[in-house]
Amino acid sequence: MEKIVIRGRGAIPGIAEGAALVCPDSIAGNSGALGDLDGVIHEKSNPCCGRSIRDAILVIPCAKGSNGFSAHFKCAFLKGVRPAGWVSTKVDGRLGVALASLNLPAVVDFEDADPVKVIETGDWVKIDGTTGIVEIEKNRE
Amino acid sequence: MVRLTDKEKRMLEGDLGEFRGKAMEFIVRYADVLGAEELVEVSRATLFIGAQRYLDCYDPATDYGKIFSEFYLCSEKALDFARFAEGCKTQTCAGACDFAEYRRSHVSKELIDRNWSYLQATKECGVKIVESCTPYYVGWIPIMGEHFVSTESSNVVISNSVFGAMGNSDGVEAAVCAAITGRTPKWGMHVRSGRRATCLVNVECRLETAFDWDLLGFTIGRLMPKHVVPVVAGDFPKPDIDRLKQFASSIAVTSSTELCHIVGVTPEAHTLEMATDGRKPPYEITVSREDCVESFEMICDKGSGPVDYVSIGCPHLSLDELKGVAESLRGKRIRRGGELLVWTDYATKSMSDLNGYTRTIEDSGACVLTGSCPVVMREDCHRHATGMAINGAKQAFNIKNQTGVPVYFGDIRECLNAALLGKWENRTWKKS
Repeated sequence: MEKIVIRGRGAIPGIAEGAALVCPDSIAGNSGALGDLDGVIHEKSNPCCGRSIRDAILVIPCAKGSNGFSAHFKCAFLKGVRPAGWVSTKVDGRLGVALASLNLPAVVDFEDADPVKVIETGDWVKIDGTTGIVEIEKNRE
Repeated sequence: MVRLTDKEKRMLEGDLGEFRGKAMEFIVRYADVLGAEELVEVSRATLFIGAQRYLDCYDPATDYGKIFSEFYLCSEKALDFARFAEGCKTQTCAGACDFAEYRRSHVSKELIDRNWSYLQATKECGVKIVESCTPYYVGWIPIMGEHFVSTESSNVVISNSVFGAMGNSDGVEAAVCAAITGRTPKWGMHVRSGRRATCLVNVECRLETAFDWDLLGFTIGRLMPKHVVPVVAGDFPKPDIDRLKQFASSIAVTSSTELCHIVGVTPEAHTLEMATDGRKPPYEITVSREDCVESFEMICDKGSGPVDYVSIGCPHLSLDELKGVAESLRGKRIRRGGELLVWTDYATKSMSDLNGYTRTIEDSGACVLTGSCPVVMREDCHRHATGMAINGAKQAFNIKNQTGVPVYFGDIRECLNAALLGKWENRTWKKS
């Protein structure tokens, strides 16, 4: 099994692993884009539309859209639908609030490799939110 | 780890109360996530709070103190409410609903009552009830260099880009905690070096109307690289605040932009060189008319068709825009069976009442509503619609995530025509 290792900055400590859900254009923070109660992406222009964030390693370049971004993830989190962890090319304010609020392992601010380009949906990803190390096992199915 | 002053340390340790201590705990965690080295004092805040739909994870009977503590302060323990920071002028953003018009806006009386009770709780702590996504129309104006927090993305872009104030697009938890503590991470737009323009945007499309600016914002947001600060340059007429409002709202739909320099408008961009600190921007894009038409086609469903739900006022309409709507609707009636919702804020509506605009608009069969919008009120308020005409790229693009019916997008005049005729006429683009 091919394994790729990339490194960013650990933003929230902890180790998490799961299947990657990659949203190359992020997920809009506007009401209705992420299901508040089901954690399903309903954003019609999103290639991951119809998929749930549940137990995934969510891979995004940044946040976008409404400043309500964090609130929709928080609502789903409190309903028990939460990603396993976060990987983001570069942190920004909207995303930073979501990371701090959900307090799940997160690695951000990659300089040498862009995780959105390296990781594909379905890859198995293990992240260490302390060291910033991200291990990727490519999905060959 | 972020460095704290003695006062901030005391706040974190709970010396200034548990409520403020928990809020500071969140601000410190947020600062560490961002990699901020210190905090900065904030003196203005707008908060997207009340009985918002993102609180649907709670049973409506849940005590608001518990909800507030858990959701915004990340505290498992339900804390007693306490005063927000005295030095921070804090008010509410767009609200969960209009306070009175539950029938005409299609929400429940229970929601209206619950929203009111939540807002009373925070008002007692110092948060003014304003319910506006355009707070600059009614006096919330951070001046150049003033540090603010706001949970309205378009207000962040306006405050940074038009007023020269300094603020990030945080999120509601951080904005609430910042308003309680009077502190936010000194990072991003709060730091001079983070505001330097890094992407030159050459504009080669028409920029005359608010609709043109709306499409421009949407287009720049989707075409420019991520993680840049854009600067718009070109030979175009200077926009007014209503045009800039549309631009600010739509650029924050397709990107995470917080500051967009506009040469000749932004206080830090009298010239292009000023915006870039004399450096060559590492990125450059050109926006053509074709790019804007492509954006339009992403937002507006194709063709013509029947329309029975028309909403204008995203972001909330100014008094000048209400005056224009009243003049357009004078002596006319909207199509029977359809509805026309006209959204503004409470203060502006009062002035509209005073000037007779509200009466003229409502004589047409339309209703002037305050404080919220269909996207924020969610599916329940527009489930009955079979065809929509929407003004504002932000509203039109995002409501598509909540409905399966045709959504048409146009300027105010086109939307008013749709309400009068009960149908949408396919827009034809003139050759440039």
